[in-house]
Amino acid sequence: MNQKAEKQLFTKPLFLIFALFAVIGLVCWFLQLTKGLQLTNLNNYNTWGLYIVGFVIFTGMAAGSLIFASSACLIKAMEEFKPFARVASFVGAIGSVVAAGLFVIVDIGNPGRVWHFVTSANISSPMFWDFLILFAYIIIGIFFTRQLVMVHEGGEEKSLKTISIIAFIAGLLVMATSFIFALQVARPLWNNPVQPISFLAAAIVIAFSLLTIILANLNKNSYIKINNEQLSKIGRIAAAFLAIELFVVLGELAIGMYAGAGENSEIVRWLISGEGAPFFWVEIIAVILGIALLLNKNPKILVTGAVVAILGVFMIKYNLLQAQLLNPLITYAGPPGYSGGEGVYLPSLIELGVSLGIVSIGGLLVMIGLDKLNLGAKPRPKTGKVELKGNTHPA
Amino acid sequence: MRYGMAIDLNRCIGCHTCSVACKTANNLPNNIWWNRILTIGGEAVDTAAGTFPNNQMQFLPVNCQHCENPPCVKACPVGATYKREEDGIVIQDYDKCIGCRACMVACPYNARSFNWSKPEYYVDHALGDIDAPVHQYNVVEKCTFCVNRIARGEEPACMVLCPGRARYWGDLDDPDSEVSKAIKGRNYVKLLEEKGTKPSIFYLT
Repeated sequence: MNQKAEKQLFTKPLFLIFALFAVIGLVCWFLQLTKGLQLTNLNNYNTWGLYIVGFVIFTGMAAGSLIFASSACLIKAMEEFKPFARVASFVGAIGSVVAAGLFVIVDIGNPGRVWHFVTSANISSPMFWDFLILFAYIIIGIFFTRQLVMVHEGGEEKSLKTISIIAFIAGLLVMATSFIFALQVARPLWNNPVQPISFLAAAIVIAFSLLTIILANLNKNSYIKINNEQLSKIGRIAAAFLAIELFVVLGELAIGMYAGAGENSEIVRWLISGEGAPFFWVEIIAVILGIALLLNKNPKILVTGAVVAILGVFMIKYNLLQAQLLNPLITYAGPPGYSGGEGVYLPSLIELGVSLGIVSIGGLLVMIGLDKLNLGAKPRPKTGKVELKGNTHPA
Repeated sequence: MRYGMAIDLNRCIGCHTCSVACKTANNLPNNIWWNRILTIGGEAVDTAAGTFPNNQMQFLPVNCQHCENPPCVKACPVGATYKREEDGIVIQDYDKCIGCRACMVACPYNARSFNWSKPEYYVDHALGDIDAPVHQYNVVEKCTFCVNRIARGEEPACMVLCPGRARYWGDLDDPDSEVSKAIKGRNYVKLLEEKGTKPSIFYLT
């Protein structure tokens, strides 16, 4: 039985695609390790790119999933989602956190020195706070998922209360991950108090959108049972928070355009009609379209809306980085490579390969978890032990 | 004691000699400049703004500002960049740096450079001082105020060859130092002072 189930998982087309991309990602990372970060399209101005966007997106996904799962245990209005809390908690704590951590590892120049985070930590660094938060997410997520599974298998409901509150607070702490941007005096576009709110909103949009996609698909093969009304409620929440993100973007535009000149204004002009315009308008269209589609009740349109919403948030963060980094405070001409930000940032093939690989590793972990752990509606028959006995005592 | 520098913008002729002196003395790898002369003028370096005959051009030498309140030091997650208590120089420890580039994002002056590839050099032997820094792959580096030279009682390399004698160096806390005397009675600006970084480079105007 068990072996058959395993075979089924390992031959699923999606699993094979993820596995293939994971291998491609590893090869790309190996190349990057041997030839250096010169294989990326990063430079001394646009010093953070796709990897940091990936880190932001997946930290948000982890936080939003923890918020989804814990609020289902804590808030009356979310109680109907309790059966899906296990899936959410697992996706958030394992798949997303591992992906977020890997995005940090591939971004830094000396991954072999990553232990310096522990041995020589600088507690005033927002980057160090992110390290602590990611670490907390893994621990909390594992405990929370375990507790949820135990309750599902007949454990006491009460035991969930404390861990749910901790998971909820941990989810809200995603606001602190915005501090690597919001606390930078050198970066006027980021250096404002709305960033924490924007990061929380983004986290909820990304996680709820991804859960819409995952739950709709799991419903199809009756791993779980979710009705259209419930699915569209998740979509509506995602749409509401995506609207907050839209307001933040519009607010930035208003501030820059009203000023007419100066730091913010130059960045806004770069986005609206400058070199960044193609990226910016894709972002605006994706966000508005995402909100519209997520408000639909048809599950197919909802899932499309969720994909568009994730693209929208991705573009918001992508542009947040490149618009600021390519428009530094001092833009006077200098020697080659030191003339302020130039052009636009497009990731190199190596960056794309590594990133797809990381997303695929996250996907693989989620698929394995869904298969091996008791996350669905039906309690799994415990076949493992029987098999083991059979194997150890051959006839 | 706090080391600082004054640069007289009226004396700077934009010859890039200090840039090259810095690059040579510190044996900087290809494409890395710790000290660069920016042109306040046209789109490209060494070009003037405006149309003939009303053109304007001004040079602005920029290196690490060795801030009293350095944002890069706060940003570094592993304490690889720190401010020396004894003389206020902001140091980068190559052996500790994990290459996350948080300090580069934090620096308002874009003073820092990253070794995107293995350090390569146009000449096949080392240049500059015997104790020039050993450059590493995948780490961030920047102007050190030539700590190795000042430890020997010498001045930073950019000071030495300036044909316009535009640079002044010394202890800002000592009123009799060359830099303090140069600043005294002069108008000066500090770069992006409104960001609260308290730079140690004074631009005399």
